[in-house]
Amino acid sequence: MTDADPLSDDVVVTGFGVHTAFGRGAVSLRDGVFAGVPAFAPATRFDPAPYRTPMTAASAGTPVLREVLADCAGDALRMAGVEPGTPAAVLLGSAGDWTAITGFWRDGTDAGLTGSVPARMARELADRFGLTGRAVAFSNACVASASALIHGWRMVRAGLADVVLCAGAYLVEEENHAKFDSGRALAKDGAVRPFSADRTGLLLGDGVAAVVLESAASARRRGAEVLARYAGWGVASDAHHVAKPHPEGRGMASAATQALRRAGVSSVDYVNAHGTGTPFNDSAETNGLRAVFGPGTVASSTKSTTGHMLEASGAVEFVISLLALRDGVVPPTAGYRRADPLCDLDYVTEGPREVPLRRVLTLNAAFGGMNTAMLLERV
Amino acid sequence: MKTRVRASAKLDGPVELPPVTGFVESSFNPLLYHVAMTCLAGQDIPGDRLGVVLVSLMGDATTTDLASERMVSGQVHNPLLFMQATANAVLGRLSTDLGITGPLLALSTTDDPAGELLAAAELLLAVDDLDAVLTLAVELAPNPRTARAHALLGTDPPAHDVAVAQLLEPHPEET
Repeated sequence: MTDADPLSDDVVVTGFGVHTAFGRGAVSLRDGVFAGVPAFAPATRFDPAPYRTPMTAASAGTPVLREVLADCAGDALRMAGVEPGTPAAVLLGSAGDWTAITGFWRDGTDAGLTGSVPARMARELADRFGLTGRAVAFSNACVASASALIHGWRMVRAGLADVVLCAGAYLVEEENHAKFDSGRALAKDGAVRPFSADRTGLLLGDGVAAVVLESAASARRRGAEVLARYAGWGVASDAHHVAKPHPEGRGMASAATQALRRAGVSSVDYVNAHGTGTPFNDSAETNGLRAVFGPGTVASSTKSTTGHMLEASGAVEFVISLLALRDGVVPPTAGYRRADPLCDLDYVTEGPREVPLRRVLTLNAAFGGMNTAMLLERV
Repeated sequence: MKTRVRASAKLDGPVELPPVTGFVESSFNPLLYHVAMTCLAGQDIPGDRLGVVLVSLMGDATTTDLASERMVSGQVHNPLLFMQATANAVLGRLSTDLGITGPLLALSTTDDPAGELLAAAELLLAVDDLDAVLTLAVELAPNPRTARAHALLGTDPPAHDVAVAQLLEPHPEET
């Protein structure tokens, strides 16, 4: 265990807010993700009849992306005690509100159309909470919010900001359900079964999370509680294929190795895997993890309960990893039925596992072969 | 960190570009790919020492809106539009063809896109310890949706498709 030294240049976490299909806040994650309860049900926000599967992991009703994002950001800032007027940057991982695009082409309405521009969402969030730093959106797909969190680390570490609000936002809607259906990427049997021999694909899920990062010195100065040390990170591209991961998980392994090096450690106690439940990802990720951490690696995929939250995945899974670290509980991989000889790690399939955790790594990957790893350490 | 421009390229106006394998319909992907390839031509930078940062306010709106129009009219989605639905895809094509294994970022801001692009490149050069960062700015001429969005945002759309690339490296004073 490493204490967050106020005189060091550590980057620490001081607040978070989260929303998934299970609802808002840490309690909902503990009741759903950490209990291993999949949230999948037939879609109600759109007519799923034209598609191969109706299943998504969505919260009740039709929430508005900007409002859910503001709720989570408010939760994070209150937890951290960040006041309006703080020169904090806002880094948002999001592709914007797809329902505004659907509405424009279906009805000709421009209601909420500025929400289809992710950069505008980032600026609105900063203005709403009186944060006076830069406002930037990251739109690089399923590593978007992980990229925001990594860029936030860079900014804090380089002294460009004391406090950064990093966030990710995606809510289930028809545009992406249709796209993933056309790409035959959705699970045929209505369940996400990461690392299981009978896995058939992913399902989309609601995900919004906001995280306050700051320097350890800033947290100490403000009297903010440090929730964890954000000890390291890595980014790497596969340089292999537009849509398929490198079969040996080359980029994933490189990102994980970079994170270990930056943190100055050689191992972690748990990996929150990208674990999409697609045939290609899960075997490639297994290979990458085995190469770095060995065959006994403890890794689970919480997308088995939340679904794939696209641009928000990195931020939500950062929060899940934070809770795992603080609670001493590894969330399980749900939906697992049968061993795949290509996936031979410890995937925590029996249910939540209580175990002291000092370090947790969370991984994400995206179209284009991009990979991220973020390492959290207990304080 | 101070930087200097090591190479640059620009594609401005209606231009006929060779297609990029696997990408259809939209000019966004050929613009990005070819301006990047032109800028990087003759450069000898190890793939793990090179980062790429893209900035675009509206992104590949042609692909986005074509897919949306098809969906609302009840047509089956084109899987190729799924494959290219994010700018990651063409960045991935670029990284595959050139062996780039460093960080690839896609940014968007309403505040100061050029300034943010430079700031991101400087930060990557300093913190990620890279030899160079390829910065890309790509914006398409507006379609009906993005024209309306530009009007609501108070931003000016480009008159035609445009792509600019600059290869930045640390200024010698910094090394």
